[in-house]
Amino acid sequence: MTKLTRRHVLAAGSSGAVVALAGTAACSDPGADSASGDLDPSADVTISVGDQPTEDKPEELAAFNKRIEEFEAENANITLEPSTEVWEAQTFQAKLAGGTLPTVMGVSLTYSYELIDNGQLPNMTPYLEELDLVKDLNPLALDNAKDENGDIYTIPTGLFSVGIAYNRRIFEQAGLDPDTPPATWDEVRSFAQTIKANVPDVTPYAQMTTNNTGGWMLTTMTYSNGGRVQNDAGTEAVMGEETIAALQLLHDMRWTDDTMGREFLFDQEAVRQAFAGGTIGMVLQAPDVYITLIRDYGFDPADVGVGALPQGGAGNNGTLTGGTLKLFDAKATPNQLLAAAKWIKFYELEKYYDEAAALADAESNAADGNPVGLPGLPPVSQEVYDQYLTWIEPHINVPLEQFASYTSSTLELIAEPPAGTQQTYAALDPVVQQILTDEGADIAQAVADANETVQGIIEQAAR
Amino acid sequence: MTKTLDAPPAATARRRKRFNLTRWAQGGGLHAVLFAVPVVLVYVYFSWGPVIQGLILSFQKTNLVQPAEWVGWSNFTYVLADPGLVQASLNTGYFALLALVFGFPVPIILAVLINELRKYDTLYNALAYLPAIVPPVAAILLWKFFYDPDAAGMFNTALGWIGLGPFPWLNAENSAMSSIVLYATWAGAGSTAIIYIAALATVRTELYEAAEIDGAGIWRRIWHITLPQLRNVIFVMMLLQIIGTFQIFTEPYLFTGGGPNNATQTILLKIYNYAFVNGDFGAATALSVLLAAFLGLLSVAYYFVTKRWSTT
Repeated sequence: MTKLTRRHVLAAGSSGAVVALAGTAACSDPGADSASGDLDPSADVTISVGDQPTEDKPEELAAFNKRIEEFEAENANITLEPSTEVWEAQTFQAKLAGGTLPTVMGVSLTYSYELIDNGQLPNMTPYLEELDLVKDLNPLALDNAKDENGDIYTIPTGLFSVGIAYNRRIFEQAGLDPDTPPATWDEVRSFAQTIKANVPDVTPYAQMTTNNTGGWMLTTMTYSNGGRVQNDAGTEAVMGEETIAALQLLHDMRWTDDTMGREFLFDQEAVRQAFAGGTIGMVLQAPDVYITLIRDYGFDPADVGVGALPQGGAGNNGTLTGGTLKLFDAKATPNQLLAAAKWIKFYELEKYYDEAAALADAESNAADGNPVGLPGLPPVSQEVYDQYLTWIEPHINVPLEQFASYTSSTLELIAEPPAGTQQTYAALDPVVQQILTDEGADIAQAVADANETVQGIIEQAAR
Repeated sequence: MTKTLDAPPAATARRRKRFNLTRWAQGGGLHAVLFAVPVVLVYVYFSWGPVIQGLILSFQKTNLVQPAEWVGWSNFTYVLADPGLVQASLNTGYFALLALVFGFPVPIILAVLINELRKYDTLYNALAYLPAIVPPVAAILLWKFFYDPDAAGMFNTALGWIGLGPFPWLNAENSAMSSIVLYATWAGAGSTAIIYIAALATVRTELYEAAEIDGAGIWRRIWHITLPQLRNVIFVMMLLQIIGTFQIFTEPYLFTGGGPNNATQTILLKIYNYAFVNGDFGAATALSVLLAAFLGLLSVAYYFVTKRWSTT
């Protein structure tokens, strides 16, 4: 047996190192992804699709996987690789930058303009035209998905507009009519006073203030007063009297009426938790709050009410819209993008056109205890949507009468501020927090400062 | 063996001059270098690579999808002109100061007390270390309940028994930062105390015995023996704490998101927001580079100042 010497060890180690280095070099990716190449609808293509339900939701997962199989059966040349990747605000930018997101997945519609401007979304117009999809989509929603040349970059789905959620039980305890939510900001204020006088230990009206939700809701309130945060072109910050009026109302409810409780650092998740805990009378929310309250927190469906966004000034000013956009991978090949658009058409939109698909979708959701028929804005035109609702009617499990004020509303739907949307919201968070935590805050000055900050954000975004 | 040792220095020098590459390679030199190459490369790639990449990024405009674009000092001028930077710097400094004045002595006192115990010191050790075992996110969620601003909140209820409060804690600009310092002290004291306890074990017991014979009480023993003996450890721990507090992120991020009204907005939270909320990686790395440069200078200054203290 040969004796192992120091030299042998070194020789083995160094040759191992050389082999390893050569291996690393061979493994390195020379840059496989490219957006070049010609469109060939029949070519074999593989794409990854996000938003696959996780194992803890077996019914939803089975329904999703079944749809995948059906799609692949219909499109023999397309292979789908499902991924449980979902949009999360905190990790999204990093994953987008790192290129680890699937070929297509849902993302908050808030990012639309930013992603288009940054070149992080591919131009989808040719593929949507190829699929003859453009005419079917809700034109209002498509406005959120276009650049100044009219090119379409994404498919908006899961649309909503902001309204006011209220606890019907608290309304009853306070002697208010649970079928009549406040329609104006004056009513919000007086309802809050009534709740405070009659129901102990609850926060009559809560406001979100952190993780960009403060700015989001201040923008909504500004819209409800007839104002804007940025001009339509997104080149100027234009907050004025309407924003001041919104902040003045919050200030008076906080410091004069004391109807806003003691917690002023709510974000969406926290405020929904508190609402589910039965301690909040009213809070600005979209109807999707119902899903979280019922499914995640076991809240009693009979206690949820959602009304249209209360209005200020002369009334009928409008409300803010939002939703989900389908993020297509900017680095995908044309064939992949076409396949991804086909999948979205199949998965998200087919149910509006195909009765069998509509019923299957409604049945699986109902079986899994998910809300069916939740009010919202359709991604398709209103006629198509009404037809769809008649198909799924037997499966609707949402108490629609508790959303009556929201669904009967005819408020103008206003898009989010176009330039640096999330940054704008982030810059407005502290303004709302200041009004709620500092009695002597100078509201006019705070709005003037906020205009200056938002103007800086607009300029940095246009850099 | 003795022969080699006895060889005159001149001969050694001559032998070194006649360096022979072949002999060096045959003697294992080449293997040694090859052996080290992967380690060095991995270190350079994973440790220094990101640092240099960060430096480069700070001069670029990029969203890491589109090709990067050189923008010179523009990211630096943007972050330096950001109206929120002054507030964030002041907040970070305020946190560092509060943590130094109120938080820094706590683990020392804890360590000295535990060290003075004759019985059950292991138990107290474990109890002191317990907060360090709780994951920060879980602990912060727990403390959010403690800090409930309602009169029924846990801290407010306890303080109500002695007629104090209710306090708004995280919900007021003037108390939010001190609330965070209180938590950070609770969370960090245990692990720092362990280091002090270990250092205390190296202090020779004869010193205490001699002091006791001379009639020194506990306070004089601590003042004249324990603290001077711990001096070097204290200096190192203080530097680590200062660097750590300037990088405070988790607590304001989870407790307040920087609010209310930016009262707990810190430099690192700003960096995070630039990168992951705004997607502006250039601005984020520019501010990171500035923070790193500042901390580097601070460390050098601290080294020279404490070196003088140590020798006098």
